[in-house]
Amino acid sequence: MTKTLTMCDSSVVLVLFCMVVLQIKGSKLIWARKHWNPPHVAMKHLKPLKSSLDYDNSENQLFLEEERRMSYLGFRCLEISRWVVCGLIGFLTGLIACFIDIMVEQLTGLKYYVVKENIEKFTAGGGLSISLILWAVLNSAFVMVGAIIVAFFEPIAGGSGIPQIKCYLNGVKIPRVVRLKTLLVKVAGVICSVAGGLVVGKEGPMIHSGAVVAAGVSQGRSTSLKRDFKIFEYFRRDTEKRDFVSAGAAAGVSAAFGAPVGGVLFSLEEAASYWNQMLTWRIFFASMISTFTLNFFLSVYNKNPGELSNPGLINFGSFDRNFLLRNRLWVVISVFVLTCECGGPPGGLLGALFNALNYWLTIFRIRYIHRPCLQVMEAMLVAAVTATVSFIMIYFSNACQPLDVVQGEDYPLQLYCDDGEYNSMATTFFNRPEKSVQNLFHNPPGSYHPLTLGVFTITYFFLACWTYGLAVSAGVFIPSLLIGAAWGRLIGIMLPVFPLQIWADPGKYALIGAAAQLGGIVRMTLSLTVILIEATGNVTYGLPLMLVLMTAKIVGDYFEEGLYDIHIKLQSVPFVHSEAPPTSHWLTAREVMSSPVTSFNRVERVGTIVDLLSNTSTNHNGFPVVVSNANGEEPAKLCGLILRSQLIVLLKHKVFVELARSKLTRRKLQLKDFRDAYPRFPPIQSIHVSQDERECMMDLTEFMNPTPYTVPQVSARTHALVPHCFFFNILAFFFLGGWTGDSEGFGQIPPGRKLLPWTQVCINSTTITGCLVTRCPSFYSNIWVTQTPEKTAHFLRQSTKLYLLLKEKKKCFVAGQHE
Amino acid sequence: MQLCKTSAFAVLTVVTLCLSTTVDSDIDNVSDEEDASRYLSGLSPVLLPAVDPLSSSHTLSAVVAQDLEINQTCRNLATIFHDRYIAYADCLVKSARPVGVCLNCFEGYALLSEIYANISNDKDGPGNCRDSLLRSDRLMLIYLLYGNLQNIWRNSACEHCVNTEQQAVKNQTLYFMNERNQSISCFDQYKQENHSDLCVKCKSKYESLNVLYGGMEKNGSLCIDIEDAMNVTRRLWSKNYNCIAPREGMIPVIAVSCFMLFLPIIFYLSSYLHSEQKKLKLIHPKRAKSNNSLMNIQDKFS
Repeated sequence: MTKTLTMCDSSVVLVLFCMVVLQIKGSKLIWARKHWNPPHVAMKHLKPLKSSLDYDNSENQLFLEEERRMSYLGFRCLEISRWVVCGLIGFLTGLIACFIDIMVEQLTGLKYYVVKENIEKFTAGGGLSISLILWAVLNSAFVMVGAIIVAFFEPIAGGSGIPQIKCYLNGVKIPRVVRLKTLLVKVAGVICSVAGGLVVGKEGPMIHSGAVVAAGVSQGRSTSLKRDFKIFEYFRRDTEKRDFVSAGAAAGVSAAFGAPVGGVLFSLEEAASYWNQMLTWRIFFASMISTFTLNFFLSVYNKNPGELSNPGLINFGSFDRNFLLRNRLWVVISVFVLTCECGGPPGGLLGALFNALNYWLTIFRIRYIHRPCLQVMEAMLVAAVTATVSFIMIYFSNACQPLDVVQGEDYPLQLYCDDGEYNSMATTFFNRPEKSVQNLFHNPPGSYHPLTLGVFTITYFFLACWTYGLAVSAGVFIPSLLIGAAWGRLIGIMLPVFPLQIWADPGKYALIGAAAQLGGIVRMTLSLTVILIEATGNVTYGLPLMLVLMTAKIVGDYFEEGLYDIHIKLQSVPFVHSEAPPTSHWLTAREVMSSPVTSFNRVERVGTIVDLLSNTSTNHNGFPVVVSNANGEEPAKLCGLILRSQLIVLLKHKVFVELARSKLTRRKLQLKDFRDAYPRFPPIQSIHVSQDERECMMDLTEFMNPTPYTVPQVSARTHALVPHCFFFNILAFFFLGGWTGDSEGFGQIPPGRKLLPWTQVCINSTTITGCLVTRCPSFYSNIWVTQTPEKTAHFLRQSTKLYLLLKEKKKCFVAGQHE
Repeated sequence: MQLCKTSAFAVLTVVTLCLSTTVDSDIDNVSDEEDASRYLSGLSPVLLPAVDPLSSSHTLSAVVAQDLEINQTCRNLATIFHDRYIAYADCLVKSARPVGVCLNCFEGYALLSEIYANISNDKDGPGNCRDSLLRSDRLMLIYLLYGNLQNIWRNSACEHCVNTEQQAVKNQTLYFMNERNQSISCFDQYKQENHSDLCVKCKSKYESLNVLYGGMEKNGSLCIDIEDAMNVTRRLWSKNYNCIAPREGMIPVIAVSCFMLFLPIIFYLSSYLHSEQKKLKLIHPKRAKSNNSLMNIQDKFS
């Protein structure tokens, strides 16, 4: 019998496969089934750069020893320090939001002032083309700075950062995504791009910033600055770090929208891989601290300390509660539901159009505009064109509004209006976009001319679509809200034509439109609803907002995916959705794994290890440790999993059997040594191993994880492995070397997918493993909601052991579980 | 200037309201007094004093039980307040349009606020007028009335034009009004003729007025009178006489915009044509051979 160990080759084959299935639509589906070749189809957009988080604790002997040494008090201290870290995360995120806000306000104020003065100077003389050029040049200059730092120094800081954070929270580690440098570039970049007048918002980048802050603070050191504060050392591993990053993302959302609950739900919705109540409570704490910090410091900045009226970067202003006019309840409710349902489809359609256009544009950019200097040029061009379009719209607009001395506009521009009036189009562009959104919501009826709104919607739609995906840090929330608010208000103005008008105020239609547009583009559900409710500060609007988001999502999903999902796909990130693709249920592990397997013996030659690690075709992050039988006829048995990072640390410290014998006084390697190297383990090339050392042996027993997760091998029976994996997306998505049966071992399931925690015990009883999920799914869904991941894993292991005991007595499996 | 209109309207409404309430209360007082005097006359017609309301109220207070709580000083204060209130409100209504509530009525306001201050500071006196006049009932009418007028004063931002301590209009305000009158007289002078002639002739005066107004706007010395005067002047200038700057230089603007809008097209075309297309790196994993069951499934589908 030949050795049939199989081995995965790429970093994420299962995921690839899922992406394939997702990509197959309609007629393509038939094609794909005929020419079944998933890996190659899937490879279309994949780069081998990403790795996944090691969410599973490596429960090796070192870990167990350390846990044994820790006292009860030690655990209490850990818990307290988790809270301290969350508080710090919230505080710093709030400060960053405050800094961004103030800088943007100052810079845009300066720019508007200069441009306005210039336009006023040339209005009468007729030299307005000079003003146009000045405006375009100013915009381009700001954007140039922003694009240069992004394109040349840290490309990962481009865009809104939400796709990257979504990936990180779901266990895909994108290189450099949570580094200090990324944070600096992100903050500076977003200031430049907003000040440069691009059609962007600063809310998405805020979420990324919060995540970076969290990743930095929780580690108690900065690898970039080479400062180690020697605190929070326990948190230096992926499990803890990811928890804090989700807190940071929540704090970011909270600071951006003044929506602490929305922030928590964002983390929950986007990062539902592992969750527990205590984490929710801590994250909520971070969110609250974040929004309060922002509020407080902004009030100090506005010289009104104590007047806490700026909970977020964007503030929708307060809506009154009586949004329905008539009193006949059933008419009101039916018409109201109808209106909300009508708000959704246009939002979904426009959102899908936006996403589709942006998708093609992004593909073009990936193919042709990949050099940094070209990216900078493109960003500058967009800035210049944005300025030009704005100028043209102001120039040809005849919408004049009387000046309001008491609470007037910040930068009223008269242009060709009568004296004492100002150009209302100019105010829309000479305002920060947040303010424009607010104006659309709250300005009294009659403030906007329908034509102005129509033209504004169309131009802003295309500009926003063109802008997203440039090499600048910029979010898409505010542009979406603006577009939606504009067409919503337009509908509100036009509606009196029909006898449908139940809301007198077009500003409320603007709110519905904004929600629909945003929902149609980003396709978030629960968290977005709550964010919008919190931003309006009015629970009464909960139902309309929810209905609108729901319909927008349904309509949009029919045509195109959400913008973030598209960008995750285009960035070649092996992202696994929480649902298995619908046509994948007949697939088995065998069809997505690769072979033969790359493995190490329990006591392995150093040379072999170095060679395997250096080999680019075996660039896995985890390797099974096996025990081969003496005669070599039997397939090797799995006894553990060792990570690449662990091997590198071992090689660096030269933990060789021979050396240990010769130097008896040598210090024993501790978990701390692994933590100190985290998260930037040196590449294998930088580790020098001499010829003599190559012949040494390394004993991996102490360091390997003796209980890796495995999946059953595939036999002719129906093992719907892929759905199982997706089912456990919720439980586990981390780096692991899946391993299959011991009788005719198949191979390693590719790293970077989620597998069934209990299957490792079920090596001899694969059939029943399959039943386990199909019979009692609710049982497991209870577990993942209520237990910590560690506990769950442990519990499952325990229960499976219990099962094995029970099996001998022929008792029902489910009964065993309930004990 | 929508705001000015609305505020003027507000002034009118509030004043009307105030007046009506004042008048009502006056009528009530009068009828009370009449009742009282009838009562008195019934007792002893000889004793009926034919004197001014002040002394009559004094007499009444001595007789009527419910008036005992209000002492003579307070009654005096109330009467003064009554007079000054009427004077000020009267002035406000008269200066509602065109707005002159600051320049015409600042004296009245000063007097009114003086007497109100007297009332509200009189808390240690014999009758404690502050409590008996301002706080002894649910309505607190005097407080309410004064509050309304104070609001009008505040909303019209009159402190910016009037020096309240010296009881005089500020020099800057006078200067502005003077300039403005010159512009208006210039308008009057030429309005019979061709309007374009007016636009040329009065342009220098009007523009210097605009500049002056802009400067005052910046240093925050505008009150409703000045704002309204300026609004009227501007409306005359741009609506009535139609002296707006014509759109000039449209061709260069359009040319520059077209150039700007064509830049991206050139950029994208050139990068499409000249930039090398980025090839995707494909990964080819090693696979286990398909087993028979998989082939069977495929056959079923194909």
